[in-house]
Amino acid sequence: MEYKQTELKKGIKLHSIKTDKFKTNLIAVFLTTNLTRENVTKNAVISAILRRGSKTMPSQEEISKQMEEMYGASFDCGLDKTGDNQVLKFYIETVNDNFLPQKGENMLKTSIEELLDIVFNPYVENDSFKKEYVDQEKNNIKQRIEGKIDNKARYSMDRCIEEMYKDSPFGLYKLGYIEDLKNIDGKNLYLYYQELIKTCKIDIFVSGQIEDSMVEELQNNENIEKLQERIPKFVLPKELNKQLPKEEKVVTESMEVTQGKLVLGLDVSLNDEDLRYDTLIYNSILGGSANSKMFQNVREKAHLAYVASSSYLRYKNNIFVNCGIEISNYEKALELIKEQIEDMKKGNFTEEDIENAKKGIIATINTIDDEQDTGITYYFGQELSQSNISIEEYIKRIEEVNKDDIINIAQNVAINTVYFLKD
Amino acid sequence: MQIIENSKVKEKVYIEKLENGLTVMVIPKKGVQKKYMIWGTHYGSNESSFIVPGEKEVTNVPNGVAHFLEHKMFEQENGTNSLDVLTALGVEANAYTTNDHTAYLFECTDNFYEAMDELMDYVQHPYFTDENVEKEKGIIGQEIMMYDDYPEWKVYLNAMKAMYHNNPVKIDIVGTIETISKIDKEILYKCYQTFYNPSNMTMVLCGDFKPEEILEEVKKRLINTKPSGEIKRIYPNEPEEIVKEKIEQKLEVSQAMYVIGIKDTINCEQKSELVKKHLAIEMLLNLIIGRSSNLYKKLYNEELIYSQPSLEYEFTNIYAHCLITGQSNNPEEVYKSFKEEVCKLKQEGINKEDFERIKKMIYGGYIKEYNDVQDIAKMFLADHFKGINSFDYLEEIEQINVEYLEQILKDVFKEEKMVLSIVKS
Repeated sequence: MEYKQTELKKGIKLHSIKTDKFKTNLIAVFLTTNLTRENVTKNAVISAILRRGSKTMPSQEEISKQMEEMYGASFDCGLDKTGDNQVLKFYIETVNDNFLPQKGENMLKTSIEELLDIVFNPYVENDSFKKEYVDQEKNNIKQRIEGKIDNKARYSMDRCIEEMYKDSPFGLYKLGYIEDLKNIDGKNLYLYYQELIKTCKIDIFVSGQIEDSMVEELQNNENIEKLQERIPKFVLPKELNKQLPKEEKVVTESMEVTQGKLVLGLDVSLNDEDLRYDTLIYNSILGGSANSKMFQNVREKAHLAYVASSSYLRYKNNIFVNCGIEISNYEKALELIKEQIEDMKKGNFTEEDIENAKKGIIATINTIDDEQDTGITYYFGQELSQSNISIEEYIKRIEEVNKDDIINIAQNVAINTVYFLKD
Repeated sequence: MQIIENSKVKEKVYIEKLENGLTVMVIPKKGVQKKYMIWGTHYGSNESSFIVPGEKEVTNVPNGVAHFLEHKMFEQENGTNSLDVLTALGVEANAYTTNDHTAYLFECTDNFYEAMDELMDYVQHPYFTDENVEKEKGIIGQEIMMYDDYPEWKVYLNAMKAMYHNNPVKIDIVGTIETISKIDKEILYKCYQTFYNPSNMTMVLCGDFKPEEILEEVKKRLINTKPSGEIKRIYPNEPEEIVKEKIEQKLEVSQAMYVIGIKDTINCEQKSELVKKHLAIEMLLNLIIGRSSNLYKKLYNEELIYSQPSLEYEFTNIYAHCLITGQSNNPEEVYKSFKEEVCKLKQEGINKEDFERIKKMIYGGYIKEYNDVQDIAKMFLADHFKGINSFDYLEEIEQINVEYLEQILKDVFKEEKMVLSIVKS
């Protein structure tokens, strides 16, 4: 595995991950821009509209046929909230030429060209996205926004974040707002798209069996040539300014559910980027694994839940504790969870717990090169936080964490919001 | 060891059947850090009535035992829990239960042999007490309730209920609060003794292994067991007809969820025939309602669907059906259009160009299955319990032609075998 960055133009980077471990090549284009109420919905519609057609493949049907023809290349797009940024993600995965029944097809080159075409050369009519596409995709986004209630656990988590980050960008829903859809039309959306493409941060990832000529080919690619240099508009996750919450907020909501979903949003009020290794281990001991306090005490000992875990959101320095419980057990479960958080502050965990947590985290880091998409996510994370830490260095930092470091984190952890979804 | 090589995906599988009846499969992946080990028994939620080898009487057990056993296997006599031990080694350990098999697994980069010790130890040493069985009922109870809040699970299970009269596929794998309340340690031990005999089990290892060496390591860790005789599995008789065409349930969802099911018949087909049929059905589903199809375009433009429905052919030794799963504000209309499209395709025949394109797509899809050690090992295990070698899919694709597809279309896509399950607010 060999990772290399090339600045194609100011603000536009190519990340190549040369590897022969896979049967596939994975190509991704990420557009990163700041998350704002004004643009969040427009970005969602743009990510949907671009997959409808490019100048060379003007309809979804043509794109699909082309992908099928390329031995089932999969084209996919997604929308993520990464810290205070919104990231529009576009992917094509194709079978590596070595595993095709016919020789001589350069699938990697074709798929890079096609992906760039979809993202940077969309189908437009008279300086406007096609009306039919815009109307359909606005409805599509509306359905997907409404769809957030379908997965109750995911919904509870999103709601907890929304409550914690009221009036700040991270509280925005990544797909935007239904009431903002009505002001979007083909013309103003295309204008906005041109602005986005001019100002956003652009990262192109290519993972697979790469030829050295690729960089040059990309530099000469028509779609890349068209793009201007830029100082990209995005928010560095380093610019956190966290303080301990003043008081614990409690939010309860009712919906048709059989099982109650309890989410605790915790703040880690430390602003030093280097402490994220300590926080990772803190989280692992609190609820990150089957050995964690949450799993052992809430599930195995008290039998209150099947799911009892926690996760660390590094870009915002939050930890979210999750469990699904009998609705009548709310008080009992909440008390037990708070006990676990207190225990961490008091240092009630062993050296063995720390060692186990380290092993688990290091094992995950070691698989980065074995999974194509994980590799891309890892390098993009580095890129976004402008850090340049090798996998070896990362492991070293994890190994260096000691008990005092973890207690230090624990003592700077406070509950911001308790969210409970019940019937 | 027997070696089977596939020239298309350029991988090999090494297979050995041991004296105690255990089948071991090794798929070496050179240069990959991750190692994956999975040990499965050909025993899932389908088996609740059987004759233990050597006995005459039929044993009937409550629904949900296979899954309950899966949960309880981790508990050890010395008071430890194997899941904790494995997690402490820094390996990712888990287990799951399906309709036809139960599997115990881990993935790791380091401490492989220590993890292998633990996995092989706990799967071979059950330890059930009245107390630890009772305790688990609380946890599984919450798991059952969690599924109650998954509309996609409800709409799937209802489709099974619409298709099947008696087949256990219509029963929830985890059982119900009521059936699990009847489970005790005697039942668990009896099912364990019956189904966890090595002759009913298969192990798959995928990673940077030397097959012969790893086989020796497996043998070293096996306790001395004799292969048991055949377990007689008793399944209720299932008529060919469906139960009812439509089934609906109310649940709070943003937009109706639907499953269109097509009940298929199980003939004692040749295994290669089974693979061919599976591939043909995948192709047909894509030709009918896949991303590039006319029907998909029509439904999308009419705003009846917003994304590609998922298309599957599910089968075990006792059932088989096609499933089209998605969300729509008007599932009835999607269903109607689907039936019309099937009818049209039967009359007009399959376009050769479309066929060739979809065939390429399916081929690429099977190649992609070989990227990750976990996907590979799980696939070989699941296929093995169906009597299939996973490589066969790549080999059989070439054998499929338009005529065969048209034959399957006629045999399987019958209107009187179709059901529609809907969950909506």
